[in-house]
Amino acid sequence: MPVSPVAALFVLTGLGYATASALYLARLARGSQGAGRHAARALVASVVLHLVYLAVDRLSGAIPPMRDIHQTLTVLSLGVVVAFLVASARKPTLEILGAFLAPVTLLFFLGSGLGRSVAEVSPGVRTLLLPIHVGVCVLGIVAFALAFAAAVAYVLQERLLRRKQLGGLFERLPPLDVLDALSFRSVSVGFPLLTLGIVTGAFWTLRIHPDAPPLTATHAFALVAWVLFAGVLTLRVAAGWRGRRAAFGTILGFLSASAVLVGYVIRGAGGAL
Amino acid sequence: MNELVVVGLSHHTAPLALREQLAVSGVALRETLDRWATAPCSEAVILSTCNRVELYASSADVGQALARARELLEERLGRADRPRLDEALYMRSGEDAVRHVFRVASSLDSMVVGEPQILGQLKEAYDSANQAGTVGTLLGRCMTRAFAVAKRVRSETAIAEGTVSISSIASALARKIFGELSGRHVVLIGAGEMGEAAAKSLANTGAVLRVVNRSAKKAEAVALACGGEVRGYEQLASELVKADVVITSTASERYILDEAMMRDVLRARRHRPLFLIDIAVPRDIDPRVGSMQNVFLYDVDDLQQVAEANLAQRRHAADDAERIVSIEVSEFEAWRRSLDLTPTIVGLRDRFTTVVAAEVARTSGRLGVSAKDQQALDKMTAAIVNKLLHAPLSALKRQDGEGSALISATRRLFDLDQAETEEEEALPTGELVKVREP
Repeated sequence: MPVSPVAALFVLTGLGYATASALYLARLARGSQGAGRHAARALVASVVLHLVYLAVDRLSGAIPPMRDIHQTLTVLSLGVVVAFLVASARKPTLEILGAFLAPVTLLFFLGSGLGRSVAEVSPGVRTLLLPIHVGVCVLGIVAFALAFAAAVAYVLQERLLRRKQLGGLFERLPPLDVLDALSFRSVSVGFPLLTLGIVTGAFWTLRIHPDAPPLTATHAFALVAWVLFAGVLTLRVAAGWRGRRAAFGTILGFLSASAVLVGYVIRGAGGAL
Repeated sequence: MNELVVVGLSHHTAPLALREQLAVSGVALRETLDRWATAPCSEAVILSTCNRVELYASSADVGQALARARELLEERLGRADRPRLDEALYMRSGEDAVRHVFRVASSLDSMVVGEPQILGQLKEAYDSANQAGTVGTLLGRCMTRAFAVAKRVRSETAIAEGTVSISSIASALARKIFGELSGRHVVLIGAGEMGEAAAKSLANTGAVLRVVNRSAKKAEAVALACGGEVRGYEQLASELVKADVVITSTASERYILDEAMMRDVLRARRHRPLFLIDIAVPRDIDPRVGSMQNVFLYDVDDLQQVAEANLAQRRHAADDAERIVSIEVSEFEAWRRSLDLTPTIVGLRDRFTTVVAAEVARTSGRLGVSAKDQQALDKMTAAIVNKLLHAPLSALKRQDGEGSALISATRRLFDLDQAETEEEEALPTGELVKVREP
């Protein structure tokens, strides 16, 4: 059976992200400088492949970006990796966060492949609200992915510091304060986007499906994520909350937001939400 | 033929009580240098630090040089300590001496392997000797090579990586919690020596230092030394609220910071992380404080363990460093052999030419040779000498593993040292023999 260029590019891009993930993890675990340099190269190469894949996919007649869950996830994975590359270029100590962000990118990208079979949203739901809803949600999740990686690194680093295991892993992770600040800033950016996403989503659902069930599991996860991030932000601003608890809140928030995407992949976008 | 000689004692072989009697500096150093640089030694350097006293020289008579060094050191000791000198003293010559100097410069022989001070101290010793005019070709080259080897070892191995002093570990940890330290608040409670060192190392990174102590006078002295400000003991709680790093090193028998007090402080701090360093023995901070949220407590044992781990890593790197030293020692030896080689070649050629020319002159005088024939005979003698010397000179120049042995064998076989001594006696004494570097 002949392999289509689109499928081949998808596999190549996936392999690229997998290689970058493995190299970043090796860099984190063993501290090899070489692995770090190769990881960055592999990631940039994967981004190029990813762009070529998107272009070829579009030319071969696929629907425009972000009109189904497949398109949304592939744009999201690209967004995460670009955000990471920009952040690590601005602050080189954050380069090690690739060990958490490259696998997240890989999972989103592979998820986009699973969503392939899902039908495009019907013309009836293709209002102006849809790109706004999907766009803000994607940007929000990109910000939460950065916050998530910083929070995971924070939890690890804090644990090592508390247990007084000050070996190589401790040396390679960035300072606690840098991680906490990155996590806080990313949640602050992501939260308004998520709020806007939920509002547009709810409005849109009510307009298209006035008789839809009031709360599906997917909706519930979105609300849980919103409540968690709202809690983290409020406690941070009002009570000076920070550190490990804030990090756990951020990790759970990101996982809930990701669960929404899993829900869409399973049920299909535009279907019964 | 001059050899390098090292005689000395260090923390490996001698207790502090012995080392401190032998340490020399200033005028005494200059005086000892001048005495050490006379026969049988022709060059001299003296390295005197708190961990070692070592006399370096180049000498044509190693045995006598060693005895002379022992004499110089013994003079400085009290009668009761003199018998202890033999156990403490080590002596090296030739290749072993070069290796020793390279290892000392690279901090492989130091108490804290990889510490950087020894290189500076060795450079100072070399400068003093240079000013006194007691450094010549061989020892001078050995010293400058030692500096280069030390630099190479530092850049190519992990020997200087990971901090190993309590004070620098404290600031490295603080940096791992807070990132940039400039503008951070450091509070030093008590005026113990180690606490002061840790506070100083943090203040050097641009942190704001406050010193709290029951005795204001002592606090002022410490604040002055570290560039901080004094705060009264009654302000302790409010200082703790502002602080990012707290170092305690008081002589108190009871906890200065207990759980109840810290709970209040943490509430007022609104969860900002706090790094507590308890350097006091007995401890100043209740260990239970360490399990509170956003508090990181390290006591002197914890810091010591970090130091041990880093030291172990350095020892591992020392193996790589030893390999570099070995390569450099053989390169130095090759150069030194070439130094021996030039006079040997010149001496050998002279000897052959003199003998052949003398014999030819005697015979040609008896035969009454014409001027033209004499020219032909001269050419022939030169050719004989060249042909005879071709094989031995090529062997000497090849400088394989047995280079040094070959040179001394040649000198003995053809009695070259005897001939040179006769020549040297005609020269003014005390002058360093300058040899052209290759």
